[in-house]
Amino acid sequence: MTIRLTTAIATGLVLFSGSAAAETVGPGGEEATPSATITVSDSDAETLRERGATAALLWHTSADFVNAVTDGATDEFERLGIEVVATTDAGFDAARQRSDIETALTLEPDIIIALPLDPVTSAEAFSEAAEAGVSLVFLSNLPSGYVHGEDYAAIVTDDLFQMGKQAADALAAAMGEEGQVAWIYHDADYYVTNQRDNAFMTTIINDYPNIEVVAEEGLADPARAEEIANALLLRYPDLDGIYVTWAQPAEGVIAALRANGNDHTRVVTLDLSEPVALDMVQGGNVAAIVADEAYELGRAMAAVGANDLLGNAMPPFIVAPAITVTADNVAEGWTISLHRDAPESVLNAAQ
Amino acid sequence: MDGVHRLLDRVDVRQNVVYVGFLVIFLFFSVTLWDTGFLSSRNLINIVLQTAPATVMAVGLVFVLSAGEIDLSFGSIVAVAALVGAVVMQEASALVGIAAALAAGCVIGAINGAFVAFLRLPSFLVTLATMGLFAGVARTLTDLRSIPITNEAFAGFFGSGSLFGIPSLVLWTVAVVALGHLVYRHTTFGAHVVATGDNAAAARACRVKVTRIRLSVLVLSGACAALAGLLYAGRIQGARYTLGEADLMIVIAAVIVGGTKLNGGKGSIIGALFGSLLMGMLNNGLILMGLSVSQQLIVRGLIILAAVAISLREPAR
Repeated sequence: MTIRLTTAIATGLVLFSGSAAAETVGPGGEEATPSATITVSDSDAETLRERGATAALLWHTSADFVNAVTDGATDEFERLGIEVVATTDAGFDAARQRSDIETALTLEPDIIIALPLDPVTSAEAFSEAAEAGVSLVFLSNLPSGYVHGEDYAAIVTDDLFQMGKQAADALAAAMGEEGQVAWIYHDADYYVTNQRDNAFMTTIINDYPNIEVVAEEGLADPARAEEIANALLLRYPDLDGIYVTWAQPAEGVIAALRANGNDHTRVVTLDLSEPVALDMVQGGNVAAIVADEAYELGRAMAAVGANDLLGNAMPPFIVAPAITVTADNVAEGWTISLHRDAPESVLNAAQ
Repeated sequence: MDGVHRLLDRVDVRQNVVYVGFLVIFLFFSVTLWDTGFLSSRNLINIVLQTAPATVMAVGLVFVLSAGEIDLSFGSIVAVAALVGAVVMQEASALVGIAAALAAGCVIGAINGAFVAFLRLPSFLVTLATMGLFAGVARTLTDLRSIPITNEAFAGFFGSGSLFGIPSLVLWTVAVVALGHLVYRHTTFGAHVVATGDNAAAARACRVKVTRIRLSVLVLSGACAALAGLLYAGRIQGARYTLGEADLMIVIAAVIVGGTKLNGGKGSIIGALFGSLLMGMLNNGLILMGLSVSQQLIVRGLIILAAVAISLREPAR
């Protein structure tokens, strides 16, 4: 935990100038390029449709977020006449990811879009694809030692730091910018959640001097979130706010709050979820959910791969924006983030 | 047609379901994926490479199950051994790292064995506990950090290298399966393992050292898991705390479908090999068919269910 907090502070010092707006930069300090600027021209689209290229989607896990990224990517690929020949889920297993890449390469895809599980082990895993000249587009993470333009086309990511920062801002606003918070972070070596979690902590420390982080609880198994929350509430019955690393464990935290009859503690989490959103629109504990534009991520990844296939130079680090979803904009938030309507239960409760 | 019927009458499908299943599924994929590269030598070799660590774990598990025990901790041992080896190799030679990894696996196996053999605790519960315990140790060893392995000799020997054009992982598979089969079928130790699992009291009455057998098979399982960890580490040129995490059910399924009884006694090393290859071929073929992840899971589950139902269904009395 001490290491994690120190990392959070260090990250914040690198990325912040005082309390000014944070800038997300790439793993090598690359400037971020907005994803909306990444498009495929009409003439290039026509060229691609005539070419009949193929792509493989090699994911790290299965989740609503991944489904939305996949939807964005496959819609763009379909528009460009690029066939998706393989889709895999490595289940967070680095060795499985290596196997998925090998299997997919049998089909000789022109483009691979994937989230490398960790920089160390994914370097070897993707090396065969890089050597074969496949256009590699990475989601959020980068294999160690890979060179932009030679080994990969671009990293496309949600604005991880901004997501954590927006979560902190939303929770602080809900608490009146003072009080005690608990930080439930993802206790695993997973770049995406680590960045967001640390950004939350850095923002609270830097921007909200009247908010005290009284508890830091690591969570590896989302199914244990309710137990962790119960223990927190036992130690800090007057807790004003809880940050939860993502929506699935947040469901457990909400359950714990309800079981304790607690309607005071505000909760903020990341990534859209129907049960969490329902609590929010019904005036429960959830103050806000910060979501990325997952569909846009997929679209941009596909566009990068297509451009790279045609030899068009792509910027190294591309970022899709984040959106803070509250009870007031829940319908819009779902559409922007996941490119589909919010669940009926949420829409009905929001009316 | 009469010839086919006579052949089917002679072949006990239930006992040989893994071989029949392997052949059926191989033929199915060969026909439906004939134009995708499924039958290319590269892809077929990939299946062996991808299943090598699971096959090695399966060999160890055959001994454990045959002795009437079970080991649920081998996945965690994979991670611990790989990380121990990788960390040691940062300061010492590859040989020392390999020795350390294997020692770690044997020590954990011995811990399991001590509780099971000497304290007579149920192996299911002991190894369930050590599975969690050593998963936590793996996470703590490097504070979740992945450790790169830059020793080229190690990577070649355990992962990406080859000898006379044969990939090292294929050689490891052949060596471990051959040695396992030899020991299991043609040594006194192997016979004693089966006897212990068949009827421990009767085995003891025949002067089989049942306690020593129980300890030995769990140490062996630990050693096999450690070797699997080294193979993983060589293959991805690094060690990570999640290695082996997803292997528990796959390896158990491979061993059971391969003909080893869940409650002790008769087992099959060759069957476990084909069970492992079957699992790998299913993963490979379903991806090449272009199925979504959900579809892959459903189809794989149904096929395994069918195979298990055929191999484990008791004959009508």
